[in-house]
Amino acid sequence: MTFSTMLLTMGEGMLLTILLFALTLIGSMPLGMVVMFMEKSRIKPIAWLTKVYIAIMRGTPLMLQLLVWRFGPYYLFGISIGSAKLPALLIGFILNYAAYFAEIYRSGMDSMPVGQYEAAGILGYTKIQTFFKIILPQVIKRVLPSVTNEVITLVKDTSLASVLAYAEVFSIAKQISASQTSFIPFVIAGVFYFVANFIVAFIMERIEKSMQYYK
Amino acid sequence: MKKFICGILAISSIALLLSGCSAKPDAPASSDAATEARDFGEGMVFKHGFDLDYPPYSHLDDNGEVGGFDVELAQAVCDYYGWKYEAVPFNWDAKDAELNAGSCDCIWSGFTRNGREDDYCWSIDYSDNTQMILVPADSDIKTLADLSGKVVGVQTATSAYDLLQDEEGQKPLCDTFASLEVFETYTIAFTALKSGAIDAIAIDVTTGQFLMNGEEGYAFLDEVLGSEQYAIGFRKGDTELRDKVNEALTALVEDGTYAEIGEKYPDIKDFLCLKPSSEQ
Amino acid sequence: MVLEMTNIRKHFGDLEVLKDIELKVDNGEVVSIIGPSGSGKSTLLRCATFLERIDGGEIKYLDKTAASTKDNTVVYAGKKQLKEIKKSFGLVFQQFNLFPHYSVLKNVMDAPVSVLGRNKDEVEKEARELLDKMGLRDKADSYPCELSGGQQQRVAIARALAMKPDILFFDEPTSALDPELTLEVLRIIKQLAEEKMTMVIVTHEMSFARAVSNRVIFMDGGYIVEQGDPEEVFGNPKQERTKQFLKNYEG
Repeated sequence: MTFSTMLLTMGEGMLLTILLFALTLIGSMPLGMVVMFMEKSRIKPIAWLTKVYIAIMRGTPLMLQLLVWRFGPYYLFGISIGSAKLPALLIGFILNYAAYFAEIYRSGMDSMPVGQYEAAGILGYTKIQTFFKIILPQVIKRVLPSVTNEVITLVKDTSLASVLAYAEVFSIAKQISASQTSFIPFVIAGVFYFVANFIVAFIMERIEKSMQYYK
Repeated sequence: MKKFICGILAISSIALLLSGCSAKPDAPASSDAATEARDFGEGMVFKHGFDLDYPPYSHLDDNGEVGGFDVELAQAVCDYYGWKYEAVPFNWDAKDAELNAGSCDCIWSGFTRNGREDDYCWSIDYSDNTQMILVPADSDIKTLADLSGKVVGVQTATSAYDLLQDEEGQKPLCDTFASLEVFETYTIAFTALKSGAIDAIAIDVTTGQFLMNGEEGYAFLDEVLGSEQYAIGFRKGDTELRDKVNEALTALVEDGTYAEIGEKYPDIKDFLCLKPSSEQ
Repeated sequence: MVLEMTNIRKHFGDLEVLKDIELKVDNGEVVSIIGPSGSGKSTLLRCATFLERIDGGEIKYLDKTAASTKDNTVVYAGKKQLKEIKKSFGLVFQQFNLFPHYSVLKNVMDAPVSVLGRNKDEVEKEARELLDKMGLRDKADSYPCELSGGQQQRVAIARALAMKPDILFFDEPTSALDPELTLEVLRIIKQLAEEKMTMVIVTHEMSFARAVSNRVIFMDGGYIVEQGDPEEVFGNPKQERTKQFLKNYEG
């Protein structure tokens, strides 16, 4: 295999990695907000169930969760599954990351001084206005460093999709490494993850900077 | 709550499955679902399940395309019947789940029949395989007995690994090792051997030869660790499809296609065990 | 009457913080509430502004009932009515509680625009006038973190005034400030008093309370111990506890 073929083949894997990464973020960041509100819900069963959900998502390996989403339908209900892997992967990744994001958001919400709510309440803001105009922008600023960490972890976690033989860059690296008896594919994969995370860190830093106009 | 109980159940069932426990659900229900209403006529989709980490039987070829001896042979079977070939690469650890859940029709990926006779519906054997010990040529290890107190490497979930864990197989020998290092891939194991981190590798002869291509100074021990046969594993009860594939394989052997494909894979061509009736 | 609070009771767990308090404030009146820490004066303000729910009594703003008690149960007015009533008062906090992500101008402007739905240009004009009055003309585009405590508190006052309340509450407005910054805030409040703004001020600044208010209330242990003309309360307190308190303060 020529080096350019190797790069090209791995390039396809990189695209699939980026696809999985992007869809997971798009799904899990808003869902995490919903989960956070469910966790803070005054309806006890909802809050309790959400806590159980978060405990399971954080307490079991993501790789195992992916296997469950892929093969659970068959083992539990005898449903024959197709060969499409992305749905199971997205469910697994989004539900898992939503749990982590929910906890990050919650810590951000809990750190907000009560005076902000009181001031907004006195001025007559509705609860929804208070949340979106006053609280959320400040929470975002507070949780941004933790979110950055989580996003960087996600870039690397996409390699777990290899357990379902999803042809992302790490699976491909393993396969080419086996067929070419070469370590170079792993080096390329390493460089790819590093560059991807460098870009993520750069973008997040820019966003953080854009919020530094206030303390 | 139901969902979470289900989730826990699912996790435990998959964990059981992955631990290699024989508690595989024998799943007649889904086999039916997957096999019903097939006429085996032209246009039927044949879902070939394999691991892309297993050169030269199934791998990414030099063009970055899915290839290998098993893949080409499976495609030839499909061409024989006019079936539509669908490649289903899977992770070797999840092969049983993939097969039982119906995402593929068979496990055909340098798949060892020996020791798994009762677990699948097997085709005829199409390749021999031998497990060997690979060492640096200048190593003081000359016999299996010399491995005592040495560090031996193996790839996870391979027949060499199974053999070393089998009480009836080479477990007693394995117990004499200083340790058995289990690697994610043989490429990594081979790198460990080169760097001196391990003393020897237990490996299929074909894979071993493949690794040694273009490398000087490595050799197999003369003593054989074990030998076995490769065949195609179908879902239990799926005899119809198995018979169809057997029929095609026999025909491909007779018309020389099987040998022709074998010629492209010098590392394994000596192990291909099917011969046309004229040569028998 | 702008505000009428009668028979107000409030407890936190077993601790009774307000015991049958009555507070009535007339239009244009400036009332100062003094007393030792834990006397219940801040709680009274928080009850008046609905930050705490009362456990008994009645609250009325401009003859509109916000809360009343029947058969020992407190009933608050409906959401809509409460929202309407809330427009009649403003509150200035000890800790300012400005919105840190909004500029000074936006802090002042945002509520009139997005809560009252008023015209933006009109509100901006008023907001700039208010900032001008607070001596913060050149700080409109600054952010709260760039201001001193005294400046922040003046922004908070402007923010409350922008809603054009009928009555303005101050909860220890200078307690978080250095002495020299205290003065600039007190000057503003004094100016508002001269403009006949109705105000209730919880404060520890005795000489300020004496100078600015029409009436002083001394609270202790959840009761109103003494109230009246500032000269009377400060110059000739009738109750022993008031005397004690004022003496400690001077000492």
